[in-house]
Amino acid sequence: MLKDFWHITLREIRAFGRRPIFLMIMFVAPLTFLWMFTSMMGAGLPTKLPAALVDEDNTHVTRQLTRILGTMEETDFVIKTNSFTEAREAMQRGEIYAIFRIPKGTTEAAQTQRQPTVSFYTNDSYYVAASLLMKDMRKLSEMAGLAITRETMRAKGYRDDQIMGVLQPIVVESHPLGNPYLNYSVVLTNMIVPGILMLLIMLTTSYALGNEWKRGQQKILYEMAGQRVWVAVCAKLFPQTVIYTIIFWFIDFVFYNYLQFPCACGIPRMMLWGFLAVLASQGFGLLLFEAFPGMMRFAMSACSLLGVMQFSLAGFSFPVTAMNSAFEWLANIFPLHHYFLVYVNQALNGYPISYAWANVAFLLLIALLPFLFTHRLRNAFLYKEYRA
Amino acid sequence: MNKPKFPILHVWLDELSELVKDEGILIFLILLPLAYPLLYAMIYNTEAQRQLPICVIDDCMTDRSRAFIRRVDATPEVNVVAHCTDMPQAQELMRRRQVFAILRVPAEFDRDLWRGRQTVVGVYSDLTSMLYYKVVYLGVINVAQEMNRNIKVEERQNNISRREEQLARWPIRFEEVKLYNSAGGFASFLIPPVLMLILQQALCLGVGMSMGRSRERFRGFVIPPTKHYKNTLAIVLGKGLVHFLLFMLMAFYMAICVTRWFGLPQLAHFWDLLGFFVPYLAACTFMAMFWSHFVYRREDCILLFVFMSVPLLFLSGVSWPGASIPTLWKVVGSVFPSTWGLNAYVRISGMGASLGDVRHEIMILWIQAGVYFLLSCLFYMQEIRKAVGRSVLN
Repeated sequence: MLKDFWHITLREIRAFGRRPIFLMIMFVAPLTFLWMFTSMMGAGLPTKLPAALVDEDNTHVTRQLTRILGTMEETDFVIKTNSFTEAREAMQRGEIYAIFRIPKGTTEAAQTQRQPTVSFYTNDSYYVAASLLMKDMRKLSEMAGLAITRETMRAKGYRDDQIMGVLQPIVVESHPLGNPYLNYSVVLTNMIVPGILMLLIMLTTSYALGNEWKRGQQKILYEMAGQRVWVAVCAKLFPQTVIYTIIFWFIDFVFYNYLQFPCACGIPRMMLWGFLAVLASQGFGLLLFEAFPGMMRFAMSACSLLGVMQFSLAGFSFPVTAMNSAFEWLANIFPLHHYFLVYVNQALNGYPISYAWANVAFLLLIALLPFLFTHRLRNAFLYKEYRA
Repeated sequence: MNKPKFPILHVWLDELSELVKDEGILIFLILLPLAYPLLYAMIYNTEAQRQLPICVIDDCMTDRSRAFIRRVDATPEVNVVAHCTDMPQAQELMRRRQVFAILRVPAEFDRDLWRGRQTVVGVYSDLTSMLYYKVVYLGVINVAQEMNRNIKVEERQNNISRREEQLARWPIRFEEVKLYNSAGGFASFLIPPVLMLILQQALCLGVGMSMGRSRERFRGFVIPPTKHYKNTLAIVLGKGLVHFLLFMLMAFYMAICVTRWFGLPQLAHFWDLLGFFVPYLAACTFMAMFWSHFVYRREDCILLFVFMSVPLLFLSGVSWPGASIPTLWKVVGSVFPSTWGLNAYVRISGMGASLGDVRHEIMILWIQAGVYFLLSCLFYMQEIRKAVGRSVLN
């Protein structure tokens, strides 16, 4: 049996050599995207996002305010103007994400205690940029108001610590657990690169299997495996398992060793979960191939339609808990969803794996489930022909 | 040999009848653009995370700390589902993913406030999703700022009149306006660009598959051996027109039906939409025809095009701010119509921009359409030459 296994594996490796597309999908694509996403988000959260400042008042007080605004981390005023229309048009051209507007008469109103209004507009069609800028502006608007009170209180002879007790009696201290720098790109890169790899694994699984039917060699494979379906499938997919696992480990190494992304559980553990994710993705691809046995095109279409959805349903950008409960349930069929929760549990939070046992079990289940339906493949091996 | 009268029409009819016969291609040309937008819209239709379950540790146990917690609970953002006595108990709930944040009120909360000192409330949040952190932080900070203002005015300062109280609360009024997506929703932000990306990807898959099919049928040649396939222009335009017209329908289905059914922003006028869709779909169609040269087997195109979707979304700069994408990747992204099309569509449909406002993008789309058209023509010219060689050999 081992000999059969080895023969099929060798046959498969030779097949890779004949088709450059395998090389491109298995090596070039994942490594290119690893490079792309790490260089794109390597700097962490975006800073100095372009915004416009509309100063209709233009007095020394508003200029002081704009200087403070200019020091903020996320904001870079690329346009300074006194016409709101000009700023809005720049926003519609997509040059800026936000507008800060100081209307005419602000200084006068502030000095005569008539409560002026200053407005801030963000373009929430660009969600991430708008959220980041809004954070800056909220902080600033609160501070600017308090600064005025502080001056009044200093004049009345209060000490600074007394003043702070008045200005900001309750301070909210945030402790983002596991990712103290709030580096969104860490979570994003950590999911998108393995996510793309897992999508490729699903596709190549059904592609490699389907090719047997396409080339009319399924019966040869079946005989080579001694008419044992599971030997045929395992031996055929084995080279992919090895190659993809090595690539997954390389990604882990780049993330946690070279780029020093948070990894509370140690790299060997993440390599183990990576290996499990590879198996689960192969299982997912195999399962869909069994749903359309011998019909490569439909299996691959199903793989791509579902595989792209897993990026949404994994829940790393928009949380699964916020979706309709049907999707919350549907998310469980996707390996990426479980890999994501295991990653958060292990690398980000460093909790014991027992808290994510269900996700590990799901990954194993997805990897092993196809072996329940091998009879469908047997039928396909014996009776199905490729249909153009 | 007499010249056929309308080679374009002939190629057009040929391509159309080929497509209709092949259910593998129909999946990508019809099912994908019709069903996928609905699915995506349904996933994100809830727009925001509301009532996130959190737990509270109240070490203070006074009237004021309870009032603080009650107010936090009353915000739309969070829902207090558990009260814990100490940190380990709360952490346990968090590990089991029953709560996603812990709010801790210190023992000296009330005493500090009476003494006129600052007191510190702790928020410990799970970072499984960035949205969790944002939601909890916003909910708590809003309550804290509101209470701060009341404490400042009612307990710490002796104001005389109502007006003075009001001024002390808000010396300067700040207005926050979320333009174009006033609810700050996730669907309104993500779905419009995704719709446009689906158009491009479905076109690439459909055109690629039909190319793979031709190559398999005509043994490596991309054109059938009939007299109608002698004119490069006719082949490229005839084939392209089938996909272009079909996807024009799909584009309007997305921009009008999907957008209306799910209440997504749509500020565009019909003519603006049309003025954008024509260059965008032309660029996408010809790009698909060009890339399809590299498809030798029908199934290869699934392998080649599907996984590009996610990187293309990022390269467009809609999800990740374009301002912080490195130059190299900006250059790579500028090759694809999606990079310009996504941005132009978001501005036209979501922000009410006119065609003049997005003329830069539209111009590049026209240039792309032209360049890809020429490249496709070159390719087909070469193929015709090969086909002529074939007939001579035969």
